[in-house]
Amino acid sequence: MPIAWATAWRTWQMTRRAYPWTYAVGTVLPAALTIALAHLGFHVIGGGAVGDDFAAGSGTTAYLAYIVVGTTAFHFAVRLILWSAKALITEQRQGTLGALLIAPAGRLPYLLGFTGFAVLSSVLEFLTLGLVVAALGITVPVSSVPGALLGALALIAAVFALSVGLGGLMIAAGEAHISQNTVFIMLGLVGGFTFPRDYLPEPVRWFAELLPTTSAMDVLHGSFTGGQSLPELLPRLAVCAALTCAHLFLGLTCLPRAEARAVERTY
Amino acid sequence: MNPLRHSLRVFAAETLKQHRRLFGQPLVVFSMLVWPVLQLATTYYTLRPVATASRAAENWPLAADPDRLLAFLATGTLAYAFFFSLVQSAWHLSFERTTGTLELLFLSPAGRLTLMIANGAGALLQNAWLLTCFTVAALTGFGTLSVSAWWMYGIVLLALLIPAVAWGAFLNSLLVFSRDSAFLYTILDEPLWFVSGVRLPHFALPAAVQVVGAVFPLTGSLLAVRGALLEHRTASELAPTLLGLGALSALLLVAAALILRVGEARARRTGALSLV
Repeated sequence: MPIAWATAWRTWQMTRRAYPWTYAVGTVLPAALTIALAHLGFHVIGGGAVGDDFAAGSGTTAYLAYIVVGTTAFHFAVRLILWSAKALITEQRQGTLGALLIAPAGRLPYLLGFTGFAVLSSVLEFLTLGLVVAALGITVPVSSVPGALLGALALIAAVFALSVGLGGLMIAAGEAHISQNTVFIMLGLVGGFTFPRDYLPEPVRWFAELLPTTSAMDVLHGSFTGGQSLPELLPRLAVCAALTCAHLFLGLTCLPRAEARAVERTY
Repeated sequence: MNPLRHSLRVFAAETLKQHRRLFGQPLVVFSMLVWPVLQLATTYYTLRPVATASRAAENWPLAADPDRLLAFLATGTLAYAFFFSLVQSAWHLSFERTTGTLELLFLSPAGRLTLMIANGAGALLQNAWLLTCFTVAALTGFGTLSVSAWWMYGIVLLALLIPAVAWGAFLNSLLVFSRDSAFLYTILDEPLWFVSGVRLPHFALPAAVQVVGAVFPLTGSLLAVRGALLEHRTASELAPTLLGLGALSALLLVAAALILRVGEARARRTGALSLV
């Protein structure tokens, strides 16, 4: 716990001093633009209605609220990956990875510290997104408050589990730009964030089921626009928890090998 | 050596440099083919509920058929990739600042504007050819094209290429003289697709956004490309758009020349590579 706290505090100090606005603009702006795009499309083209296949796939006709939940969750996930998965490769680029590896600090609390910081700082930034949503006059219904809270927690845990493995991949490959953007775009396409997954071809849907974020998004959509109660959401929460544990286990098993490879390649 | 021949040699050399730097790089394949295609799929699925609404066909006849909605978005993706590849190239040019080769460029007798144009054009050809082939093949395969004459394809290519190169020269000149290039990169990436109507038809945007969008040549390029490829427009119908594009491109080139002159004069006097 002291390690997690120290990491979070260090990151907060560094970000506050060096890059106060870059990250905030970089994630809130795309989310706001996607919501604005959906808003314009819904009113000007759809005439305030959506096609029947949307309601069949998502269980709601509240297209804009669905987009708001999905877009916010997607960019929140992107933010968490940017911090947690890139933590190790940032150390590598700055030349401090070696020092971190020989320090008597566990990797899991270190990464948890990064995620903790990322969650807190992102929550502040995404409150500004609330202003955009309010300005556009979109109301988001909530059918189950505990379901929404558990869904958000599940999403954070799922993204963290993905980030551990991804971070290892990044330092092993010595490359972050291509891998991170490919992961973001894949997630946005298959993860069921901004449209029901029924639209996708069958094999892609099965691939999506392997990602823990997919079931977390089902819980989030279900508890906001889906009109589902907590007991109805529990099966998907259980799936998410199982997949998160599997991904975390896989990531933590591979991470030491990735670290060894990263260090050996340097010398 | 006469000035034209000199400029052509500078142009060829800078384009060759871009070819060697960019060709076959994994980053180019990802950022110019894999990501745009996946992003296109995401945008298509996100907008599909709106386009399949019962009243959508009367508001926007083009989108009544899902294939044609996809073609509309694909042309947007293609044109956007053209312009974005230039934002990326201008961003790379700012590395010449950090590595110290920019001063050498300014010491050389090469024409500054020629260099900026060649840098953009070289990057464009290296980056966008793959996506162009892909989009052309996909559009032809879907059978959604509606073109009035075969030579309209030539007009489409010119309507993409000339404004994009002018835009690239302008961005390059601007970024050579600015310190915080990452910020411009952020500003020009996401808002560019929104204001230019890449993912929505032009009429769906609010008036204020349309006014802002008119500043970017991508807006006009998209109108011309979609008019010629999807809406069966003839050259005379598109003439006002094309003339506007030509004027905007000329204006961008003049602005680029002006920025280069002012910036260089200031650099000589103060030793600082910045406009203000």
